[in-house]
Amino acid sequence: MSTAMRSALAAGLVLACSAGLFAQEEQRDWKIFGEKVYTATGDVIENGTVAVAGGKIRGVTGGTRGGDGKNSLRAAAVTPGMVDLSVRVGAGTDSVEQSREVAPDMRTAESVDVFDVDWDVQARSGVTTALVCAPDFDVIGGLGVVVKTAGPSGVRARTVKADAVLRGAIGSQPSFRNHPAFGRPDDFFSRRPTTRMGVEWELRKAFYDAAAARGSDERAFPGSDELRSVLEGTRPLMLQTWTTQDIRTAIFFKEEMESEGLGHPRLILDAAAEAWKEPDLLARSGAAVVLPPYPLDGRTSDNSFMTLDSAKLVHDLGLPLALSAHGSGDPAARLDRQAGFAMRGGLSFEAALQAVTIAPARMVGVDDRVGSIEAGKDADLVLWSGTPFETSSRVIGVVIDGRLVLDPRPTE
Amino acid sequence: MTTQLTNRAVARTLQVTLLATALLAPAALADGKLAIKAGTVITEAGAEPIENGVIVIENGRITAVGADAKVPWDAKVIDAPEMTAFPGFVEAYSPRGMDRPNENIDVAPFLDVRDSIDPVNFYFEDSLRWGVTTINVQQGPDCVIGGQGRVVKPYGMTVEAMTVENNAGIVLSASPKRGNSNATQAQALRKAFTELRQALEELVQEQRDGDDRARREALYQGRDLEGEKAKGRAMTGAGWTVEGLDLVPRGEVDEKLEPLLALVEGDVPAFFYCGEPMNVHQALEIARENGFLARTTLVLDASCWKAADVIAEAGVPVVLSSELVDRERDPITGEEIETFVPGVFAEKGVPFALSSTNASTQSLWYQAAMAVGLGLTREQAIQAVTSTPASFLGLGKRVGSLEVGKEGNVVLFSGDPLSVTSFVERVVIDGEDAYDRSTDVRVKQLLEGTQPPGTAAAAELDEKGHVHDDGEVDTKDEKVDKGEEQSDDDKGSGDDDEGGEDQ
Amino acid sequence: MISTTKMLTTGVLAAVLAAPAYPAPASDGGADTYAVRAARMLLADGREVEDAVLLVEGGKIRAAGRGVDVPAGVPVLEHDGVLTAGMIACHGYSGTRGETGDDTRSVLAEARIANALDLGHSDFANALAAGITTLVITPAPDNLAPGSTAVVKTAGGTILSSAAHLSLSFTDDALRANRYPTSYGGALAELDARLADPSGAFAEAVAGRLPVLFEVSSRDETQRAAEFATRHGLGGALHGARRAGEVLSAVQQSGLGVIVGPFDPGTPGRQLDSVVALGGARVPLAFGLDAPQEDGDALRLSAAMCVRDGLDPALAWQGLTSGGADIAGVGRRVGRLEAGLDADFVLWSGPPLDLTSSVVEVYVDGARVFGGVR
Repeated sequence: MSTAMRSALAAGLVLACSAGLFAQEEQRDWKIFGEKVYTATGDVIENGTVAVAGGKIRGVTGGTRGGDGKNSLRAAAVTPGMVDLSVRVGAGTDSVEQSREVAPDMRTAESVDVFDVDWDVQARSGVTTALVCAPDFDVIGGLGVVVKTAGPSGVRARTVKADAVLRGAIGSQPSFRNHPAFGRPDDFFSRRPTTRMGVEWELRKAFYDAAAARGSDERAFPGSDELRSVLEGTRPLMLQTWTTQDIRTAIFFKEEMESEGLGHPRLILDAAAEAWKEPDLLARSGAAVVLPPYPLDGRTSDNSFMTLDSAKLVHDLGLPLALSAHGSGDPAARLDRQAGFAMRGGLSFEAALQAVTIAPARMVGVDDRVGSIEAGKDADLVLWSGTPFETSSRVIGVVIDGRLVLDPRPTE
Repeated sequence: MTTQLTNRAVARTLQVTLLATALLAPAALADGKLAIKAGTVITEAGAEPIENGVIVIENGRITAVGADAKVPWDAKVIDAPEMTAFPGFVEAYSPRGMDRPNENIDVAPFLDVRDSIDPVNFYFEDSLRWGVTTINVQQGPDCVIGGQGRVVKPYGMTVEAMTVENNAGIVLSASPKRGNSNATQAQALRKAFTELRQALEELVQEQRDGDDRARREALYQGRDLEGEKAKGRAMTGAGWTVEGLDLVPRGEVDEKLEPLLALVEGDVPAFFYCGEPMNVHQALEIARENGFLARTTLVLDASCWKAADVIAEAGVPVVLSSELVDRERDPITGEEIETFVPGVFAEKGVPFALSSTNASTQSLWYQAAMAVGLGLTREQAIQAVTSTPASFLGLGKRVGSLEVGKEGNVVLFSGDPLSVTSFVERVVIDGEDAYDRSTDVRVKQLLEGTQPPGTAAAAELDEKGHVHDDGEVDTKDEKVDKGEEQSDDDKGSGDDDEGGEDQ
Repeated sequence: MISTTKMLTTGVLAAVLAAPAYPAPASDGGADTYAVRAARMLLADGREVEDAVLLVEGGKIRAAGRGVDVPAGVPVLEHDGVLTAGMIACHGYSGTRGETGDDTRSVLAEARIANALDLGHSDFANALAAGITTLVITPAPDNLAPGSTAVVKTAGGTILSSAAHLSLSFTDDALRANRYPTSYGGALAELDARLADPSGAFAEAVAGRLPVLFEVSSRDETQRAAEFATRHGLGGALHGARRAGEVLSAVQQSGLGVIVGPFDPGTPGRQLDSVVALGGARVPLAFGLDAPQEDGDALRLSAAMCVRDGLDPALAWQGLTSGGADIAGVGRRVGRLEAGLDADFVLWSGPPLDLTSSVVEVYVDGARVFGGVR
């Protein structure tokens, strides 16, 4: 049994590890049978077959039996491909323009590396769509891009939505490299902000300046358009906010924009580890929340503390909730494990499923294409060996745009 | 970036509080009676779960198990209709729970883990929390020959109170100790036994010559020379023997060498650590030559699956590492081959036990569950964390399943033991209430964030179970925060287009 | 070899005894007319011609091929081996003594590496001895726009072009942590701005008068550069793309050539596969060197390794000669055995892509500058 296991693993991996080069037969039509098909719409279809053609889902039929043709796949369970909004893969220090702290015009679509081997790991673990943003060394780092984790070799071919969010960060990360002008100011890091207050100041200033530039060519600056799109609510603002004070700052900032009549930003709070500490404020803000990976002992980045029941709490507040895994290849920390932990903390299965599929898709406006198993959507599917998110279950098959990225079939 | 305020003493208070609470909880006394009624009872791997089963424990032993077991009128009852009762997990080999896993000395069979087990070490507390009830504490593999181990339960304020079985085996390592090469390690192993043999032969010769040096030394060191120790005994060893050892009272054998003699005579189990496949051959050879192959259990690193045939042929059982999948990357093609290690041994019919990664989120339940996902049957996986390790430790009749006559070690789960959503609710050891989640302040904090008054927030712990003293929290993200140039976010690592391993 | 000597001796004797004086040794320069008859002549398109003749006059090729009429009185050198055009390495840092970069700014488009050359450097003699007669010298890719490349001959000190390409670096070496830009996005924004309102070298590039050398390394950089070239209608070549064959459509669409190598026995197969894929797709290829070379044979070795991996030998040879010359922008001067081009050619003991062959003699501008005793 284990030899077959070994071969299957090897075969599946060889298939995927040829980084973007696919097997000769570009099979894109499938009949995928799952004893349980979890559509992420609230429906669970027993003994369902998902029909895939031309890279799209044609439909799901219940009460079927799996076939064994050349284009048949089967598994104990089928779910939509997972979506990770904080994947932190494919964009390193080369993607963040550190010569200034506010760079809203920088497009991560221009610097994302779709050949990074970490994408293979993501795809094989069932994450099929990901939002890539620049690392948070800037206060405002630029425009994030939503991509598929596998597919033809090229950014354009893999892009689901470019410039989907404007990314910013509150907290200690944007300021850590800057230093006051003591001694020799020999690099451009001799600048503000050097503190959390400074970071917040830069954030607010950027938006005030952008608002002031409305209709005025003289006062326009690179990125003022992008900043205004946030004020107008046409593009969400995604802020990294690990700690309570960062979450509060972000929400107060949003309320300030509103009360000053500058606009109505739509907030996505990323890595909101201490969301559990501010239920009332969060509920009032209506912000979407993306939770970071669960830490072993509660304590995590920026000295924040994250409880196991954070997901349940955010969900019960009625807020859009997404989970994320920060690109971890560690089998203990992948996105499906995060869903398991969320359930351990009290989140229901359906809510956990949605938190890694349709909810993040909706947050960044790609739910017309991905996030659930519905006719017309992209054929991004994950096949499981058992109940999804259980420790004793494994991702055994992955389909992206109808292409088989991880083959669940045992090799002969 | 901000310095974390840690309060080591307070964190310790937290741990002590837990144990103290456990002790004070209304518990069945060791000589009392306890009946556990659970909605589901899983007695052992592969057994049909019993609905609404009852487990009766008297004087620390299970006296009845079944749906119709009679509850004695004077028994304390734990009524848990929503829970699943399960045998406690058994950790087959663990160098944790001590201040340091090894000494600097190469050959130190005279050491005993009793002297370094720390009953309040966080490892024991967390083991209990995740349903591990029997732990084989042994020295680590950074040695040539290590000291004597002890099987303990993670419950008790002294080592004696924790002890299930002492003299539970000696650790040997075929894998080089720090500073050694494979060659020097192998030679050191051989030399240890050669020196034992020489010393014994010298002892016999001295006896024959009428030299009482050995006796005087024994008296001077205060060794026991009465009873069994006063007698000489012919050496029984399948590997080699020393003629005339029956002339020498056992008490006169140097106490530094005596444990090795016991090993060679097949009186104590041996846990032989192998880091690489080549170490397996070395280990089996040493064990065979010196007569303790029949008592040997190999402790293996992941890559040792390659020596599975040799192990199967030798008929020795194995303890597997927590790395369930061995990954190898072809340096030329970049292709990755993954091998599911327990699957290899299952196929070859080699008995194997699993090990936990850490006492916390990746304890034995996790290893068993992951193994199921990777290809073991549920029965095989559960066996590997209960009855199989129990048999390796010679405790097959005492722990590892819920059967009449066995020790009253029962874990109550809120759901299926291998499910990520299940919590350990209660743990009973030897019929005593050892753990109750409702009073576990740490779980409450991790789950809900509630902080007991007068304590600091839970601190980050290092792998020894100690609070980080430097106040810095070292998570992966923190490394990015510090902007280290070679962080994983950097395209530099992993992308085979960069310098690195492939271009 | 032995037969050549024998024939030469005979020829010399015959010449001495009979006809007008044989052309003076190399140092005399190429003012004379002479012909070389070679057992085989390897043309730029990979075709081999047996018993072919090369007619040289005034340092230029007058005629080349089979059945060339040698006027009476013109001395004929016999070569019992292969005669080819001199090879060209399309990338390298020879003779620059490390002066290939400037840390102060990221855009130095007007700088010219030609100003940093020491043409007497031994690097050139080493290259010459390996059969390389033309070298493209390139600035290091540590700036976004480090300057222009130069094309030089390895003997005689001729600079064929002091501004052959505008070099643009799309590698992360150009993105420094303490200088704008630090990101690919910033680099693209800067270049877009410079090309939108171009002056100097940028203007020349936009007008199509100055090809661009795109320095890349990884696949995403290759793709980025190719798409940039397409977007702005720039011509030229990519260098440093170790796996360009895997992003073929972007490369093809850009129309850029690709400079590959150097390769050695430790090169992973994937890089060679990439070259074969490029060749199969008819992407113009050339070969380059990296550091100043002690062993100029690295160029030949690179090509031979690609051929062994499956590259059409004709394409490999083209890359070493005519194709390389075209990519270097000096295809009207060197790289082919054709009338009117410079008489830069090499006499080999056997086929140049056979690594057991060696260089016997090298001629630049008609003068023998390496090897042989006649």
